[in-house]
Amino acid sequence: MIDNVLIDTLVTGLPLVPLVLGIYLVLNIREDFDMTVEGSFALGGAATAVGLTGGLNPWMALAIGAAAGSIAGLVTSQLNLILRIPLLMAGLVMNMALFTVTLRIMGMPTMSTAGMETIFSPFVSSPGREADVAMSIVLAAIVSVVLIVFALFLRTEIGLSLRASGRNSRMVRSNGVNDNGLLILSLMVSNGLSAFGGGLMIQMQGFADVNMGTGMFIAGVGAVLLGVLLLRPTGSRVIRIVLAVVVGALIYRLILVSALRFGLPAGDLKGITALTLVLAVAAQGYLAPALARYRVRLSRKREPAPAPPTPIPTPSKETVDA
Amino acid sequence: MHEPMLALENIRLVYNRGRADEVTALDHLDLALDPGEFVTVVGSNGAGKSSTVQIISGAQRPTKGRVRVKGRDVTAWPDYRRASMVARVFDDPRVGSAPDLSIEDNLALAMSRGRRRTLRFSTNATRRNRMRDELSRLGLGLEDRLHDPMGLLSAGQRQSITMIMAGLATPDVLLLDEHLAALDPATAARVLELTADLVAEMGCTTLMITHNMEHALRLGSRMLVMSRGRVIADVPQARKQHMEAAHVVDLMVGAGDELTDRILIPELQTEGAM
Repeated sequence: MIDNVLIDTLVTGLPLVPLVLGIYLVLNIREDFDMTVEGSFALGGAATAVGLTGGLNPWMALAIGAAAGSIAGLVTSQLNLILRIPLLMAGLVMNMALFTVTLRIMGMPTMSTAGMETIFSPFVSSPGREADVAMSIVLAAIVSVVLIVFALFLRTEIGLSLRASGRNSRMVRSNGVNDNGLLILSLMVSNGLSAFGGGLMIQMQGFADVNMGTGMFIAGVGAVLLGVLLLRPTGSRVIRIVLAVVVGALIYRLILVSALRFGLPAGDLKGITALTLVLAVAAQGYLAPALARYRVRLSRKREPAPAPPTPIPTPSKETVDA
Repeated sequence: MHEPMLALENIRLVYNRGRADEVTALDHLDLALDPGEFVTVVGSNGAGKSSTVQIISGAQRPTKGRVRVKGRDVTAWPDYRRASMVARVFDDPRVGSAPDLSIEDNLALAMSRGRRRTLRFSTNATRRNRMRDELSRLGLGLEDRLHDPMGLLSAGQRQSITMIMAGLATPDVLLLDEHLAALDPATAARVLELTADLVAEMGCTTLMITHNMEHALRLGSRMLVMSRGRVIADVPQARKQHMEAAHVVDLMVGAGDELTDRILIPELQTEGAM
């Protein structure tokens, strides 16, 4: 029973990791809200499904899906920069528009890719428990590559500018970085990642649905909050950032899968998601100061260097944003 | 004749144009700074000191007039583009650095100022050595704390690092916008010393805004007194040396400015509480 829960968590949770990573990028690193990711998740899934149906190489189909998501992010950024629509509003509008785009791309609300060649085909023969294990291994490998590349990217000059830009855009500009360029880049990467996750999802589950993105933003935010709560990443701790994303996404999925396994009907999942989110936000507010104090004490014990007379790093910021 | 390093030509800056609360911050401002000149600027509140910095850094575009750096017309350049030539230290150390990033990341960000950012790693061994060298001159032991978040440091430590950051990619023009204002007297004195050293070393054209008459008179090779968006006195080194704070205050009163306590009470000034 327990290993069934774990395998289910991995198989359904790992495709969400790129999406959660994209949400983390905009929400925590850029400190902004972009709802486009919901639409681009479905868009990426649809584009990938159409690619598969058209007989494309499944990796190629994934890449096309991701590219479609990036374009959606580009459009959102231009709505914000050229038309001066606030980013939250631009994301909502795009989310709505992408529903139609996704439906047009597929030509039908739901598209089955059952029996087609997917990225899992070489490793999976017949559906079943063993297939799930094989799929989780493939997914884990893909997701690891994505996370490593992302962590390396954050360590580059451009990635560093991104990490600094959310909290302090004036500083970033005064150091010669075009902040608008960073907005475009972050939205393209974030939505590209989200669409990539959508592509993984449809290859895993064997169908694409025009509504598959609905609720994904809030779910992703919940996962981000869980990850942040557990690992407390800061701007310079890049490895912690990617770990927080993967841990948050999997724990969030684990909660849902467990709820299903305990016999709750699928209709209750939205309620569970809402509850998880509320608890995660509340925990941020109540637990984080206590955790931060604990951490400061720890670090002082380790190095007896002169303790700086400073404010405790305020981790409650995420709470405000959420 | 050489060209001035920095030139403001007939600058006019109006905030909230066409509204009831329209304010003219700068009017008919002309200014030319030679290469290597270190100019201090004083003036009462609303004299246009900070607006001048905004205009030079590109954070604000003038309503009228031209800004030239090294003879190039940069009036239409946004602030991030001017950063290749103009470095700025803010009055609030929190603005000049990213609190949740490590000291190392903050310095790395400043090291790439004015260059195109690429997908190279932001920190490498060479850069890290340079960071340690630069930090060790502060004598604060920060060179061993490269991985500590900036937010853990005191205001004075942060402002010292911001000064270092401004000098990492040697700028042509350095703007110091009341950069000692948020510091306690002892720290302000130390950062002021650092300022003098760094400016002398880099030899860049420097504009330092201050509320502290003593600082304005003691440092630099030229002093400007501003009032109501204009320069009302341009004091060369020879005259500045023999001037006292009271003279400067007289100049400002003569221009009809209301003076605040922090300019009038000498104790507040000498303690550096600006």
